[in-house]
Amino acid sequence: MKKMTFSLFATAMALGAFQAQAADPVTLQLKWVTQSQFAGYYVAKDKGFYEEEGLDVTIKPGGPDIAPEQVIAGGGADVIVDWMGGALAARDKGVGLVNIAQPFKKAGMELVCPKDGPVKTEADFKGHTLGVWFFGNEYPFYAWMNKLGYPTEGGADGVTVLKQSFDVQPLIQKQADCISVMTYNEYWQLIDAGYKPEDLIVFNYSAMGNDLLEDGLYAMEDKLKDPAFEDKMVRFVRASMKGWKYATENPDEAADIVVENGGQDENHQKRMMGEVAKLIDNADGKLIEAAYERTAKALLDQKIITKEPSGAWTSAITDKAIK
Amino acid sequence: MNSVTEKIVPVGTLLIGIVIGWYVLAVFMNAPFQRDMDRRANVAPGTIEFLQSTLSQAKPIVPAPHQVAQNVFENTFLRKVTSNRSLVYHAAVTLSSTLLGFTFGTILGVLIAVGIVHVAALDRSLMPWIIASQTIPILAIAPMIIVVLAAINITGLLPKALISTYLSFFPVAVGMVKGLRSPDLMLLDLMHTYNASPSQVFWKLRVPASVPFLFASMKVAIAASLVGAIVGELPTGAVAGIGAKLLSASYFSNTIDMWAALVAGSIVAMLLVGLVGLASNIVEHAMGARPT
Amino acid sequence: MSIQSLSWQSWVVLLLALIAMLTLPFTIDSAGFSAAQTALVLALLIGAAIGDGLRLPVVSKAVLFFLAAHIAAWLLIAGIAGQEGSGRASFFCAIAAAWLLAWRCVSLLSSVRSRSRLTGALLRILIPTIFGAWILILWEAVVRGAGVPFILLPPPAAVGQRLMNSLPVLGADVRQTILKSVLIGYAIGCGAGFVTAILADRVAFLRKGLLPIGNMVSALPIIGVAPIMVMWFGFDWPSKAAVVVVMTFFPMLVNTVAGLAAASHMERDLMRTYASGYWQTLWKLRLPAAAPFIFNALKINSTLALIGAIVAEFFGTPVVGMGFRISTEVGRMNIDMVWAEIAVAAVAGSVFYGVIALIERATTFWHPSIRGG
Repeated sequence: MKKMTFSLFATAMALGAFQAQAADPVTLQLKWVTQSQFAGYYVAKDKGFYEEEGLDVTIKPGGPDIAPEQVIAGGGADVIVDWMGGALAARDKGVGLVNIAQPFKKAGMELVCPKDGPVKTEADFKGHTLGVWFFGNEYPFYAWMNKLGYPTEGGADGVTVLKQSFDVQPLIQKQADCISVMTYNEYWQLIDAGYKPEDLIVFNYSAMGNDLLEDGLYAMEDKLKDPAFEDKMVRFVRASMKGWKYATENPDEAADIVVENGGQDENHQKRMMGEVAKLIDNADGKLIEAAYERTAKALLDQKIITKEPSGAWTSAITDKAIK
Repeated sequence: MNSVTEKIVPVGTLLIGIVIGWYVLAVFMNAPFQRDMDRRANVAPGTIEFLQSTLSQAKPIVPAPHQVAQNVFENTFLRKVTSNRSLVYHAAVTLSSTLLGFTFGTILGVLIAVGIVHVAALDRSLMPWIIASQTIPILAIAPMIIVVLAAINITGLLPKALISTYLSFFPVAVGMVKGLRSPDLMLLDLMHTYNASPSQVFWKLRVPASVPFLFASMKVAIAASLVGAIVGELPTGAVAGIGAKLLSASYFSNTIDMWAALVAGSIVAMLLVGLVGLASNIVEHAMGARPT
Repeated sequence: MSIQSLSWQSWVVLLLALIAMLTLPFTIDSAGFSAAQTALVLALLIGAAIGDGLRLPVVSKAVLFFLAAHIAAWLLIAGIAGQEGSGRASFFCAIAAAWLLAWRCVSLLSSVRSRSRLTGALLRILIPTIFGAWILILWEAVVRGAGVPFILLPPPAAVGQRLMNSLPVLGADVRQTILKSVLIGYAIGCGAGFVTAILADRVAFLRKGLLPIGNMVSALPIIGVAPIMVMWFGFDWPSKAAVVVVMTFFPMLVNTVAGLAAASHMERDLMRTYASGYWQTLWKLRLPAAAPFIFNALKINSTLALIGAIVAEFFGTPVVGMGFRISTEVGRMNIDMVWAEIAVAAVAGSVFYGVIALIERATTFWHPSIRGG
């Protein structure tokens, strides 16, 4: 039976490939598992926006141990969703990543502390334990601590850093005094766990002006030199931004599409979509230069990158894609 | 009949003890969070109510046995086998890569053992490295291996199976070296007096002598394959399989789902080891061994 | 000087050297190799293969092969360094030929039957070392020759350099993971397993209940409890030690119980005629008889403990530890650091295993499995 379905599937694939011969294949590697954080791409695929642009897009979900930079460098993807910190750090290591579009205008990362805990203000961090994710998500946190002048090796004058798990348990179990959350994801898990918004003190990176650019689209520099590939990316960005626009206007439908593609927990995805929409702003995907400069400077200040990056972003794609 | 009850009573008693201990642990571990919840909600429940609520949290630190049992039951029998929430579906995904990896691992292990027993150069150079190979924390770099293999277009079942292979060839290789060398000198001399060729010695004496060793090491190997498959599923973007289920549950602290996934993995492990045991009994019986 | 037939390795070396010669140069535009170097490599390969036909003493022939194989390999790797990705078929044929020469060298050394213990011990170390060295040589040559991207698989030389440059960091990680999580967890897990086995041996009811459960749990994917342990015992080393305890407890229990049944009835009856009590019998007869089983469990557990602790560190840690370093450095694209950490883990694991094997040899020297082995 399994063989049978497989051969049917293969035939269907072959037929599909035959019919859609004109469609250019594009592989997109996400930074994390399937969730509304990436709704725009799933909507664009589901609603046929990619197809209209003559693209056949494969979306690969990520996970806790998948470095999108490594995937694209190994040739496993044409374009990736990545945070600027990780992308610039990889560029510093010789992986020629270039930002071709920046759908997320604002950062969704924040640090939250319970009101009945020891931390009320930035000055209270000293001598306490703060949780943060690693794998390319630690850069904004370290940049902020660097700005505050706190050493991150623990002790009475510094902060103790925890590599936290991907849920909110460290705060619930009081293993950390504050933890990192995303406005669109873990924050709501805290609310679900019985915290009320007034029980939490929130340090939002965007509000503090410490944000580093998050979800952007990156492609390899050497590939972009090829006009055919560049054109493919222009069409990809155009369709993706159309998807984002649709997703922000119809959040519930977008969340449904995400759940159909393997997203967990429908209500959670709907809420996430609503929060993500706030970060998208107007869906033009253009990178704001000031935000880029700030990100690069923060990374340079704490020696995450060794030299001023050059050519790490281009507006050529978005200029052509979004008229 | 008597011997059966003799076995069941002690095991049953211990299992009941474990379940009671589990309930106590669940109450004890879930109480602090429940107190925090009640404090925030400004309620003061009675003892009985409090106990009930510690055993019925949606995301407890230690789920109560009945919560796990209910979750396993629902996701095994009440869901379509093709549904993403069905444990049967996830178990089948994990099982397929386990079996593929186990098959590769067994073949590789046997080949290595035959090489070690028959080629002097291999015998002198390979054994320390086979042991050293297992000290490489392959599970820790499994994610990276899968990314690297994906870069050379090896995706899907095979990379996961390769991790299983890496873990399962070892017990088979070690066990088979012992097994192929198990015939004593007397028997080897006997083959000599019959003027047997090396290949005849191998097929007629060494192979039959090594069968019990093979099955014993296959039991270890299949358990190792399962671990390899589960860990290999972690970096596949949490799509399918028991490992993926475990991971996606841990993102959302769905502890009950996590425990259910562990139970499913354990059931699969028991089935696999049981099957190898059964096969070993059948083969040994056919080869004329005394029934144990 | 008389002639003897060539071994199959030498024939294949000749064939490969011929192919390499026909498909010269080694690299695109012969970058990195002068004509003299190229000629020297081929001369070494062909010379050694033909030298196989001379009737020389085995040891001097082995030395000849050893030198030819390693000098050729060194020349090839030195030439390709800095010219990554330019290797052609000729280069890979030459490397394969050098590898076969090394194999021939190992075959010759394996056939040496020395009477002195020192030579025997030297050979026991030298032969596996050549094998291990060639894993690294082939890795280096293939990665550099084919130009595999650094962030997919760095060459061993770069890993070694990184290892040397970050000893303090690696030391801190070893302290956190091995000296705390692994050793403490291992001691508690093995100790508890052993004590439980003795207890089960004393109480028949317990044994009948525990053994089936123990056998069952030994086969379970216990590593899956890692995230749960992190939830229970916090982020620092206790949670990792807890995972190690759970992983090592059952193999120890099952093996010790099996070992305690190893002493034969005849011997036990003898102890009874001496009027020795339970503890005396245990101490003087049954535990020594169980020693091979117990050491077997200790060896299995040594690798389990290391893997358990490292994997458990994926689910939340302080910012130190081998598992922490492996997972975060992948995210930072420092793949050389990841491999350096893996090398440290492998060395630590091998040392751990080796120490237990040595203790076993020292304490159970009287056992047939050691005497014969």
